[in-house]
Amino acid sequence: MGAYTDKIREIAGRLLKDCQVEMVIGFRKGSMPMMNEPCFVTRADAVDQLVWDGSCGINLANYLTGRTEARIGVVAKGCDSRNIVTHIIENKIKREQLTIIGVPCTGMIDKRRLKNLAPGEVLAVEEDGERVVVRGDGFETVHQRREVLQANCAVCHHRNPVIHDELVGDPVSEQTEVDRYADVRAIEGLSAKEKWDYFEALLAPCLRCYACRNACPLCYCPTCFVDEAMPQWVGKSQNPVDVRTFHFLRAYHCAGRCTDCGSCERACPVGINMRLFTKKLEKDAYEMWGWEAGLSLEQRPPLDTYRPEDPEPFIK
Amino acid sequence: MTCIKIDKQLWAQGLAAAEAQYRLFGPVKQGALYQFDALAAGQTPDLDGPNTRTSARAVVYPQSEVLFEYSLDSRDPEAHVLKETPAPAPRAALAVRPCDAYSFVLVRRNFEAPDVKDVYWLRNYAATVFVGLACDRPCSTCFCTSAGCGPYHEEGLDVLLVDEENHYLAKTITDKGAAFLQTAGWRTPADPEAEARIAQRRSAAEARVVSTVPTDRLAQIPQLELYAANFWQDVAFACINCGTCTYLCPTCWCFDIQDETRGNQGIRLRNWDSCMFPLFTLHGSGHNPRGQKVQRVRQRFMHKLKYYVDKYGDGIQCVGCGRCVQYCPVNIDIRRVCELMNGYGQNAACKVA
Amino acid sequence: MGVEPGRVHFSWISSAESTKFVEVVKQVTEAVRQLGPNENFVKKELKVA
Repeated sequence: MGAYTDKIREIAGRLLKDCQVEMVIGFRKGSMPMMNEPCFVTRADAVDQLVWDGSCGINLANYLTGRTEARIGVVAKGCDSRNIVTHIIENKIKREQLTIIGVPCTGMIDKRRLKNLAPGEVLAVEEDGERVVVRGDGFETVHQRREVLQANCAVCHHRNPVIHDELVGDPVSEQTEVDRYADVRAIEGLSAKEKWDYFEALLAPCLRCYACRNACPLCYCPTCFVDEAMPQWVGKSQNPVDVRTFHFLRAYHCAGRCTDCGSCERACPVGINMRLFTKKLEKDAYEMWGWEAGLSLEQRPPLDTYRPEDPEPFIK
Repeated sequence: MTCIKIDKQLWAQGLAAAEAQYRLFGPVKQGALYQFDALAAGQTPDLDGPNTRTSARAVVYPQSEVLFEYSLDSRDPEAHVLKETPAPAPRAALAVRPCDAYSFVLVRRNFEAPDVKDVYWLRNYAATVFVGLACDRPCSTCFCTSAGCGPYHEEGLDVLLVDEENHYLAKTITDKGAAFLQTAGWRTPADPEAEARIAQRRSAAEARVVSTVPTDRLAQIPQLELYAANFWQDVAFACINCGTCTYLCPTCWCFDIQDETRGNQGIRLRNWDSCMFPLFTLHGSGHNPRGQKVQRVRQRFMHKLKYYVDKYGDGIQCVGCGRCVQYCPVNIDIRRVCELMNGYGQNAACKVA
Repeated sequence: MGVEPGRVHFSWISSAESTKFVEVVKQVTEAVRQLGPNENFVKKELKVA
């Protein structure tokens, strides 16, 4: 991954020096292990702060919404690139504004999982090819990278950027053998009551900080429905009905748009896997319309087009 | 000030006795998380975990609190009468970290100002006895010692517990604390060297706090200069404007008032709010004085590290618990921002000299 | 998401199909009545957390 960092700096430096872009959006090294901070660079002599490793899980498409700069460089792994495509077809940014620095991705490290596995506080995490070395006060453990990937990365089908102007390395092989929807199927098999109870427990720790919503590139409404005051659609307290209404409605707003980038789950301060909601809708979009979001600039999403062959067995 | 020795074998038994008179709160493991929450009957707090994800703030200041109830039914003789919720029963916050306990000292200045008293916060606060647990394993993100407190800090506590293998030493700090220990039936005086040992352990624990932030210049830099500083765009860029930092913070106190009605019955609620949310400052006119992300991020840091410092003249509105550092989804680190603020203008001044 | 399948119905009914409309309304009413009142997404009491 160190090679990616060098290449990103080289490309960003060149783009800035040649005035091909006004800014490059990427990641800089965070102050904590497994945390990198999204940042922007505007000068070629400042590109050395850009880095790439397995802790760049935040989706940078989120930082493009409504940007007015004429030329922007943006670092994008597979899922980021799909959200950039979605942003373009939803008119949140123009293709001409972007120089996409594609990063073939081998998955992001699940910081929560590594912290839970560690016998003490994690003080440093080092990636060395397939090995992930975790160090803390008085311990050092080694994990296989594929065993500590974020859940969404472990089942990712689009690790290579689907759209790019530069590429920082050779494309990586796609994972074709993974079962993407095992977790969703398990929930589909539950009864209505069991589902209700399952989600009740899932959402119990929610603080309504809205980190999931705000980390999501799809959630760009000028005023989210939970923030509407006239009329007010949903209560503001910790009442479980209101908490659930927020999560369900947010998920529905992502139907046919979600790329399962995992930013929402990664951002959550209390570790809720709200991807279970969006993933069900992602699965439905795939099964009903053969649709995977963000793969094509030409095709319109299934929910804003009508085709005579659209499935409609639910209509009686 | 006395020191009591609590044999760990008597711990659960004592809590059971205390339960008759106090509603108990403490750290509990819920799923993968350590949370500070109300204990179920007979439940003992889990003292082995790290500092809890959510702070002890909710014991005194719940995320959602009913202030009063009312009826809109004109046939009801008490229609439109605002009926206050009953006063809280005595409660004990067990194994509070000293940093979290100190946060109540800071927050109290806001809720018990000379001219305005917040009855709801104050009555919860008065009903609570704070039984602290000294912290021997500070995290790499803890900077309590440069935020006015420390791992054995006593301000804000009624009792300080120190874990000594088979027993706890309970240092009584206030009469309220002594009464709690009495109720729990813990009465064995500790040996005469106990206090000396606590002092020794205190220094050792303080030495283990490796993270520091400089705050010495914050008061002297003019507000407007910091407000107009050139680093805010850079600091705010990554921010997604979620409420993680403010909701996990023990010293954040902002709230929103809401009415909820069902049929003719209604309640008035107070919910936590966050300066990170655009709605927090949205005016009825539609104007929003902090409509941009950078303004909201600046507000959070300016409030904690400058306005509070200037207003109360007793340090920053931060206890150095490190929660916002650990759980910010995009790694905005208050230690770095504090350093930027505290050092602002210094380099320029050096150049002139 | 925990809402019983029989609670939500979709139907195409032309404005000319009054008989079908009556039929569907009867069916839906009967199906939902059998499920009983919806308990989900209803605040049973005014309370917080």
